[in-house]
Amino acid sequence: MAGPLTDQITPPAGPLRTLAGDRPVVRVLIRAGLVLVKRTVLLAVLLALVFTGVELLPGDAAHATSERGETAVDLAQRRHTLGLDRPVLERFWDWMSGLPTGDLGTSAHGESVTDLVSTAFPNTLVLGATALLLTAVLSIALGCWAALRPGGRLDQAVTGTSTAVFAIPEFVVAVGLVLVFSLWTGWLPAVTLADADGTPSSWTMLVLPTLALTVPQAGWNTRIVRAALDDEARAPHVETAVLDGVPPLRVLTHHVLPGALPTIATGLATSSGILLGGAVVVETIFNYPGIGAVLSSAVADRDTPVIAGVTALAGAVISCVLLLADLVRDVVTGGRR
Amino acid sequence: MDLTRRQLLWAGGAIGATALLAACGNGDDEPAASATGGSAKPRKGGTLRVGALGRTGAVTRDPHGTQANESDYLILSLVYDTLTVPGAKPNTEPRLAASWTPSVDLKTWKFKLAEGAKFHDGKPVTAQDVVFSLKRLRATPSGASRLPGIQAKNITAEGTDTVVLVSDYANAELPLLTRLTTFVVPDGTTDKDIANAPGTGPFKLDWFRSGNARLVRNDAWYAGDVYLDAIEVKIFESPQAMTNALLAGQIDLASNAGAVAARTAASRKDIQTVRRPNDMAMPIVMRTADGPFADPKVREALRLAVDRKAMVEQVLSGYGSVANDILGTGDPAYDKSIPQRTRDLVKAKALLKDAGFDTSKTYELLTTEDISGLAESATLFATQVREAGVKVKVVKQDSAVFWDKTWLKGDLYTTYWGTNDSVVFFASKTMVSDSGQNEAGWEDTAFDAAYQKATGTADDARRTQLLKQLQQIEYDSSGYLLWGMADGIDLAGATVRGLPTLPGYGRVQLQTAWLAR
Repeated sequence: MAGPLTDQITPPAGPLRTLAGDRPVVRVLIRAGLVLVKRTVLLAVLLALVFTGVELLPGDAAHATSERGETAVDLAQRRHTLGLDRPVLERFWDWMSGLPTGDLGTSAHGESVTDLVSTAFPNTLVLGATALLLTAVLSIALGCWAALRPGGRLDQAVTGTSTAVFAIPEFVVAVGLVLVFSLWTGWLPAVTLADADGTPSSWTMLVLPTLALTVPQAGWNTRIVRAALDDEARAPHVETAVLDGVPPLRVLTHHVLPGALPTIATGLATSSGILLGGAVVVETIFNYPGIGAVLSSAVADRDTPVIAGVTALAGAVISCVLLLADLVRDVVTGGRR
Repeated sequence: MDLTRRQLLWAGGAIGATALLAACGNGDDEPAASATGGSAKPRKGGTLRVGALGRTGAVTRDPHGTQANESDYLILSLVYDTLTVPGAKPNTEPRLAASWTPSVDLKTWKFKLAEGAKFHDGKPVTAQDVVFSLKRLRATPSGASRLPGIQAKNITAEGTDTVVLVSDYANAELPLLTRLTTFVVPDGTTDKDIANAPGTGPFKLDWFRSGNARLVRNDAWYAGDVYLDAIEVKIFESPQAMTNALLAGQIDLASNAGAVAARTAASRKDIQTVRRPNDMAMPIVMRTADGPFADPKVREALRLAVDRKAMVEQVLSGYGSVANDILGTGDPAYDKSIPQRTRDLVKAKALLKDAGFDTSKTYELLTTEDISGLAESATLFATQVREAGVKVKVVKQDSAVFWDKTWLKGDLYTTYWGTNDSVVFFASKTMVSDSGQNEAGWEDTAFDAAYQKATGTADDARRTQLLKQLQQIEYDSSGYLLWGMADGIDLAGATVRGLPTLPGYGRVQLQTAWLAR
């Protein structure tokens, strides 16, 4: 994953090299900085695509937010108010130049985009992070458990179930959960209601949406964990450990798992993107006050500033998670080199 | 709020006593109290949790902004007052305007403000506040369609309690127009402060966040008793989630939940279904100006080919009523004496033949999925008219495309309208030759003349007579095929009482609601 950029900048030789080589923190920081620059450029390109993409969709924000019966003159006025009569490049530049100050522009309905996303986005992050954490714990635990007796009945059961579970879309899981845990048993709230601070009014409201997101992703990641452990188990140092008579559990935790970590981290990082995507669906079903609802309505309204704002935030978060995964890999492999 | 044990005991005793009294009363002929009325006396107190549809990205706090969200409109209507509100008979009732008088030519209208009307901050409402608000409304991009025929310069104050509106033309139904979005805010409110401008309505805003809000009772409201302590409005993106919330007891009222939700909840005895008749018209528009449906005989044939009862049963799940191709079914002046059109395939075929209609061709019926049932109505219609020999293919369009490319232009498409309590409203908006939203491109000099006469006539009886003429012409030859009217459907928990039953904007008049518990 280390791109050509990193290779070029790596100092060739001399005291600097020893400095970087001796102090992994510095090396990691330099690497993080470079990746950050690369990702920022990527994000800018992505945002440009969002602007042009919305432009290409039929209809525009002025039309989408108009009331029936507005004449062509009214529409032109609305277009002007929203700045839609200016070239897309100009609007893109305007919007981008507000970014450093945290200004995400104004929605087609006249609300500040920063306000619109400021409660919704953290809510989605909480949901996504909880689901990611739960996914990580579940998949690593299940993967390890299955790996202790490769090919055994338990291994087969875990592998089979995880495949089956991954194949179920989030919305099916979500509808099933509501039916069973809320409408039939009444154990948990069916939907999420927000309080004055914009967050769910009770933690119990987080349970079902989190589960709906976790179940498919845990299935997927268990498979990755299981495969990564399998690969690592064939490594020479593991075989040496086994031959030395190290107990299986210790082999797993001290010899197999560390080597498999980079793959597992990458798998989980990829899941974070899918989790954010799945959140859109799950949030609708559970009425979760997250970014999904904001995004879907913004697309319907061709509301470019809102769509771009959400894209920027989601892009930033996913970049950070990927960066973290890269760092995990760096630390693990760097330590061994 | 902490309750002491003594208070609890007292409350328990009071409830017990009420129950006892109720039991002693005329127990047998008293029907089970219902959401809409019931014979019980309204009781003060409680918080009503209302679910309303809306999209977080489309939230607006501006009472004069574009209210795409049901939830926003509900909140604004409870915090701010309009000059007039919907009624049953007559269809326009006083609110912030206590009374109104027209000039003889029906162009100048004077609205006298309600006595004792105060903003939530205690300041009395003056005519200047209203003038400011109406001018602000008029200056929005939708202003011309919200206050048609009234220019900003013709909105003036007379003294402190009278607002004068001068229309460009005679308009007997001008007060009807002031029911919709004429929310009044204090004079001089800036755009920056508009979200927190005090209103005059039955409830005060406690908090608002991302489309959710809590409103508390305005004890100083001038227009009647308000029973609820508070209303909490919860925004829902999907009707399904809103129904689930109601079924799980997380909300007390699912506002405008629709027929599908009503069907879901039908098996639950503890859920009340409130039907508000004449809520939504979903007519099929046939272009009259040109194209395959320009011949009145062809339009008549299609009107005869449709099976209205089946449409209401299948498209609306029975939550609706058969209509007679005249828009404005809830109008007190709606002409019930015009015979109801029923299905007549023989006559339809004969008319088509007579008109030389090309039955070998397939015609496109354009529709959207903007509201539930709309696309379904198109599909069922296509199946039905096939039996009369007309081949129709349904084409679903993305909402943005539909309103941009098809609406007002297409040969055959579906549309929908909410304000169904005025024949004149539809005539002026969609059928008079020069109307801005002439959906079918219809021009009929006799209709125009009837419209002019009716809106320029102050005498009610005479006007009703003229409106009958107008409706007859509409029935005979307009571009509309109005097969039925959808009910507005609210779902409520067992304890909710006093819900409004009026169609359209009537649904937001929640100040009459109370909780029996």
